[in-house]
Amino acid sequence: MTNAITTIDPITMEVIQNGLGSIVDEMALTVMRTAYSGVVKDALDYSTAFCNAEGEVIAQGLTIVVHLGSFPSAVKSILQQFEGRIEPGDMFISNDPYTAGGIHLPDIYVIKPVFDDGTLQGFACVVAHHTDVGGLVPGSNSTQATEIYQEGLCLPAMKLYERGEPVESIFKIIERNVRVPDKVLGDLRAEIAAAHIGERSFLSLLRRYGAETFRDYCNALLDYSERLARAEIAALPDGEYEATGHIDGDSIESGPVTIKVKITISGEELNADFSGSSSQVKAGINSPIAFTRSAVYGAVRLILDPSAPNSAGYFRPITVTAPAGTVVHPVLPGACGARGITGFRIMDTVAHALAAVAPDRVPADGEGGNTILSMGGYDADFNPFVYVDLIAGARGGAPWADGAAGIPHPGSNIANTPIEIAEVELPIRIEAYGFAQDSGGAGKFRGAPGQIRQVRLLADEAILQMRSDKRRFLPYGLHGGLEGTPSMTILNPGTDDRELPTQGMTPIRKGDVVWHTLAGGGGWGDPADRDPEAVLADVRNELLSIEAAERFYGVIIQPGTLTIDQERTAAHRSS
Amino acid sequence: MTEHGQNAPGETPISTQNIPSNFRAGADIGGTFTDVILLAPDGSYRSRKVLSTTDDYSRGIVDALTELTSQASAAPDAVDQIVHGTTVATNAILENRGARTALITTQGFRDVLELRRLRTPQLYDRFYEPPKPIVERRLRVEVTERVDADGSVLIELDEASVYAALDRIEAEEVEAIAVSLIHAWRNPEHERIVGGIVRQRLPDTFLSLSSDVLPEIREYERTSTTVLNAFIGPVVKQYISSLDRRLKGAGSAGELLIMQSNGGVMAADAAALAPANIVESGPAAGVIAARELGLRAGFADLISFDMGGTTAKASLIEKGVVARTTEYEVGAGISLSARLVKGGGHALKLPVIDIAEVGAGGGSIVWIDKGGAMKVGPRSAGAFPGPACHNAGGEEPTVTDANVLLGYVNPLGLAGGEIPVYPDLAEKAFAQSIAPRLGLPVLDAAWGAHTVANATMIRAIKAVTTYRGRDPRDFALMAFGGNGPIHASGMAASLGIGTVIVPPAPGLFSAIGLLEAQQERHYTQTLFGSLSGLPSETIESAFRLLEDRARSEIGEADLTIKRSVDLRYAGQGFELTIDVAGSPESPTWIASVTDAFTAEHERTYGHSAADEPLELVNVRIIAASGKAHVRPATLIAERSGSNAGDRTIYFGSTGQVQAPIIGRGDLDAAPQHGPLIVEEYDSTTIVPPGSTVHLDDFGNIVMTMPNANA
Repeated sequence: MTNAITTIDPITMEVIQNGLGSIVDEMALTVMRTAYSGVVKDALDYSTAFCNAEGEVIAQGLTIVVHLGSFPSAVKSILQQFEGRIEPGDMFISNDPYTAGGIHLPDIYVIKPVFDDGTLQGFACVVAHHTDVGGLVPGSNSTQATEIYQEGLCLPAMKLYERGEPVESIFKIIERNVRVPDKVLGDLRAEIAAAHIGERSFLSLLRRYGAETFRDYCNALLDYSERLARAEIAALPDGEYEATGHIDGDSIESGPVTIKVKITISGEELNADFSGSSSQVKAGINSPIAFTRSAVYGAVRLILDPSAPNSAGYFRPITVTAPAGTVVHPVLPGACGARGITGFRIMDTVAHALAAVAPDRVPADGEGGNTILSMGGYDADFNPFVYVDLIAGARGGAPWADGAAGIPHPGSNIANTPIEIAEVELPIRIEAYGFAQDSGGAGKFRGAPGQIRQVRLLADEAILQMRSDKRRFLPYGLHGGLEGTPSMTILNPGTDDRELPTQGMTPIRKGDVVWHTLAGGGGWGDPADRDPEAVLADVRNELLSIEAAERFYGVIIQPGTLTIDQERTAAHRSS
Repeated sequence: MTEHGQNAPGETPISTQNIPSNFRAGADIGGTFTDVILLAPDGSYRSRKVLSTTDDYSRGIVDALTELTSQASAAPDAVDQIVHGTTVATNAILENRGARTALITTQGFRDVLELRRLRTPQLYDRFYEPPKPIVERRLRVEVTERVDADGSVLIELDEASVYAALDRIEAEEVEAIAVSLIHAWRNPEHERIVGGIVRQRLPDTFLSLSSDVLPEIREYERTSTTVLNAFIGPVVKQYISSLDRRLKGAGSAGELLIMQSNGGVMAADAAALAPANIVESGPAAGVIAARELGLRAGFADLISFDMGGTTAKASLIEKGVVARTTEYEVGAGISLSARLVKGGGHALKLPVIDIAEVGAGGGSIVWIDKGGAMKVGPRSAGAFPGPACHNAGGEEPTVTDANVLLGYVNPLGLAGGEIPVYPDLAEKAFAQSIAPRLGLPVLDAAWGAHTVANATMIRAIKAVTTYRGRDPRDFALMAFGGNGPIHASGMAASLGIGTVIVPPAPGLFSAIGLLEAQQERHYTQTLFGSLSGLPSETIESAFRLLEDRARSEIGEADLTIKRSVDLRYAGQGFELTIDVAGSPESPTWIASVTDAFTAEHERTYGHSAADEPLELVNVRIIAASGKAHVRPATLIAERSGSNAGDRTIYFGSTGQVQAPIIGRGDLDAAPQHGPLIVEEYDSTTIVPPGSTVHLDDFGNIVMTMPNANA
C-alpha cells in the first residue's frame, strides 16, 4: 500500500471517485455517439479508462469487463519504450499483443498522456474493436490465420500525435491497410475525441485539489479497492480448487483446446495457475497474456462485491500463473484474432473452480460468450462491406432464478445490431431473431434458451466467418442441473442443410442463408424440483414442448387446455 | 391555503393580448402531495396543497379546485382550462398495472421485445435480471408478411395469419394490442391493414400501430414504445374520463389539458390516444417553469435543479430552449448509467425533456460501505419512516438529518412548524452509525454527508452539461423542490457556477409550470438517406405531412411550427437534432443545415469533419398552438418584518458561523452578504459566507457566488 502524505478523508475520496467515474463515462459516451462501425456504435465493443502516471487503472467506464485488466499492460509498455520521451500533446496508438500489451489486432488502443504543469499525471485510455484491420478475412477475426502476420495491420506502440501534431504517415498506413477505411478512421477519430475530452475533464478535477493531493487520493482509491478485495478473498476458505474447460476445437485442428486452472486461495491472496492448459495453437484463438489476466480479474471480481470502484487496486491480491507457449500465454507468432472465445472460456473455467468455494455466487454455465458471425465482401462496384453480428446472451440457471435470457456473457457486455439498421446499411437480410424452443439445460432453475439468428446474403458473394463454440462441450450445469444445449450453424437450411464447423471461413453466394443457434445455458438444481407451474408457463410461452416437459421435468401437460395433469404428474415425478 | 399576488399593486400580467376573461387551473400530482393552483384573470393565483388521494387522484384535484373557486368567489364554470401533470402513466408502468397487452409482429421476430438490445447496465453481476417484457411470449404473435428496407413488399400480408393471430389474442382476453412490423417506419401499409382488421374484429380493444406512435427506424425501440403506449392506453383513458366526469360533475366546463414529457401540453382526449407522450408528465412542468421564469428574469441559460425527498433531477435550458432527448427508458430505476448503457428499463423513444436523475434527496440514507467509504443513497427513508429527525420511526441517518445538524434546516420544524424536527435524533443517528466509523466528530460527519450528497448530485448536472460538451460555468443554477435551495450554493461552488437562483414558491414550482406551458405536439418521421442525395421535395413533403397531422390533431390551422432534422455523419450510429429554418427546397438549405450540424458536433464532441457526407435520419416538427393565455403574475414577497434571530450553521472550510435568519421579503435589490439563512414556508436557502444575495424584480432570490468569474 502507498503511504500518502495527505491525510485522506473518506468524504473527499468519495467526491473524487464520483468525479473520476463521471470522466470515464463521458469518454465512453463520446465514443459511442460518434463512432461509425456497427461493432462500436451498436454492439458497443469498446472501453474507456483512466490510468495514473504509473499505468494503474484508477477508473473504468461502464463498458467491457475483459478490457479492464488490459489497460495497464498497454500503458506500461508505453512507459517503458518511451521513457524520457513522453511529451505534452503526445498521443499513442497500439494494438500489438507481443510488444505493446495488446489483446488482438482489431482492438486499437489510443492512449493520451496527460500533463499538468509539465508533469505527467496520468493517461486517458480508449480501446475500441475496429471493424477491420486487414488480414485474411473481412472483420479481421479469422480463426484460420496461423500466425499473427496473417491477421492484419500490427501497430507497435507509436506516437499518433507528437506534441499536438498528427503523425500523418500513421493515418495513411492505416487507411491503406484496412478494408473499410472510412469506418476505421471514423472510429479512430471517436477514440481521439474521447481521449481529448478525458484529458480536459481530468485536469479540471485534478486542479481543484492540486496535483499532489489529487495523486494521494488516487492512490488511496487504489488502496481502498485493494482492501475490499483482500477482505473478501480472506473470507473464502483457503485451499486449492481445480476446474477444466474446453473449446470444441479450432479451425485448424479438430481436437478440443483445454483450459485447466488451479485456484489457490491463501489468506487474502488468490492465484490462478493455468499449468496443464493446451499448448498454443495454430489457429487464431490464442489469448495474449494481457487478455488472460484481464479475464481472470473479471471472473474473480464477479463473485466478489460488485459495488467496489473499478480500479486496479482490486487486482493487486490476484496473481496469474500462465506458462509461456500455452493457449493462455502465446508467444510470437501466435495468432489471436479470435481469442475472445478463449477469454470467455478462461472466465467460465475460473468460475467453475470457484463454484466450490462460493456455491451461492456462481450460476450454471452460460452460452460461453457471444458468437461472431461476420460476412464481408464487395458489391458490384467493388465497394467493400463488412457485417459483424454478435449473437449473445443465454445465462445458466442461478441458485434462485432461471438463467437470464438475452443478457450477454458477463465478460463482454455487448449489444445486438438493430435488424432494420443492418438491412438499410448492408447487403443482407435478417430473416429470424428469437429463442429456440426446448433449448437450455433443465434444472430446478433452468438455463436460458438459445437464440436463433438467420441471415441471408444479398450481395453477389462474400466470405462468411463464424466464431462460435459449445457444440460438443456443452455449458455445465450445477447441483444436479443438466448441461445446456448445443450451438449449431447450418448453411441453407431446408435445401443444402450443410452443417458448418463452429469456427472457420466459408465462401458464400447471393441468396445463401446462414442459420445459427446459440448454445442454451446450463441448469441449476435437479429438474425434478422445478415448480410444475414454472414448467407450465414455459409450455404456454412455447419455450418448452409438451414432450420436453414430460421428459425433463416429469410434468404432464394436457395438449388442448394446456393445464397440468396433476395426478399423472405426481405419479410420474414420484416414480 | 396560500394566496399569492394579491398584494402586488401595479403588477401587470405578463401576457397581454387576447386574454381570456376567465380563470385557469393547474393540478400537479406528486408522490405525496397534490398541488392545485387557481389562476385569476389578473394573473394572481391561490394554491392548495393536499395529500394525494391515491385511490382516485381525481377526487383530490376536484375537491381542492372546488375549494379554491369558492374562496375566489368564482363560479365553478369560470375555469376555462385545467392543466394537469400526472404520474398515472408512469405508475402504471412502474407498478405493472397496465392493460393486458398483446403484440402482433412479423414472422420470425416475436422475441425482439424480450431480447431488447442485450446489453445490461451492470458490469459485474452474474445474476443480473432484465426487466420482464411487458408482453409475455405467448401474447406475442406473428403474422406472415415482410417489408424490405426500401419499403417494397417482400412477402404480402397473409390476412388469414392475422385472423389466426386474433383468434389467439381473443382467447386470452387482452385489453390492448400493439402492432409493430419490421420496416413499418418505411412502409406502414401492412400495419394499417392489420389495424383495420383488429378494429373490425375487436373494436373495444385499445390499438397502437408503431407507424403511428413512432415511425422511426430501429425495431426494438419502436416496438417497445408502441407496446408501452398500448399497455398504459386503457389506464390513461379511464383516468382521464373519470377526471373529466368528476370535473363536469362539480360544474366545471373547462377544457382539460395534460402535460407531456416533452414540456408541452396536449388536449386530454389526444393524450388518451397517445399516452406514451405523458409518461414523464410530472417532472416536465418544473423545467418549463424554470425556463419561463428564467427568460422573464433575463436568465436564458439555466441548469434547473429539483431536489426532493428521494431523488434530485437536473436539466439544461440553453438560450431559452429546453434540452430534449429521445434516448429514454422508463422503469430503469435511478441511474445515470442509463445515459451510457441502456437495458435497465423499457425503451421509450419519444421526445422527453432531458432530465438526469440521481438517487439523492432529503430522505436518502447515509451509510458506510465495507471499505470504509461514505455513501449517500440511493436507498431512501422516503416519507415513511422518513429521516431520523422526524421521529416517525426512521433511525438511519439521512441527508435531511445532516442538514439539521449543520443548522441548514430549522431545528424547530419544517413547513412553518407543521412537521416537527428533533435534532437530538438526527445527532443520535450520526453518532451511532457514521461518526465513529469515520473517526470524525458528529458535525464533520454531517458535513461529509452533505458534501457526498452534493458530489452525487453533481453527476446529474454533469450528465446534462459536460457530457454534452456544455460548461456548467456558462449557466445559472435555478434550484427548487423542498431541498434544492439548501444544496444549491455548495454545488455551485464545486462546479464554478457564478449565480444561483431560487424562484418564488419553490415548493409549488411544478404546478406553476403547468400554467406556463404552451399547447404543443412533437412529431417525427424517419426518412433515412444522404442529406444531399434525398430529393428536396421528398424532405419538404415529409415535413408537410407532419404539419398537416399536427393541424388536424391540435385542431388549429394557425400553428407555430419549428422544424428540425436528425443528422449524423454517414455511418455513425447516433444523431444530433438540428433546428432548421426555411424550406429544403431553398438552394441554401443544405449548406446552412450542414454548418449548423458541424458546429453542434464540434461543440458536443470536440471534433467535426467538415468534408464528411451527412446522413439524414429523421425529420421532426414541434407544433405549438398560437393561442395566448393568462400566466401567473410575478410574485412579490412580503417583508416578514420580524427578525427571526440567528442560527449557528456549519461549513467545512469556515467552521461554525452565526447566520441571521431572514425572509424572502427582507431582501431587495441591494446585495447582502452571506452567511444568511432565507427561510420560507416550503424551503430554506443557504447563503454561504463569501457570497452575496439579492432579490430581483421578479421575486427571485439571486445569489452571487464568490467564484463568479472563475
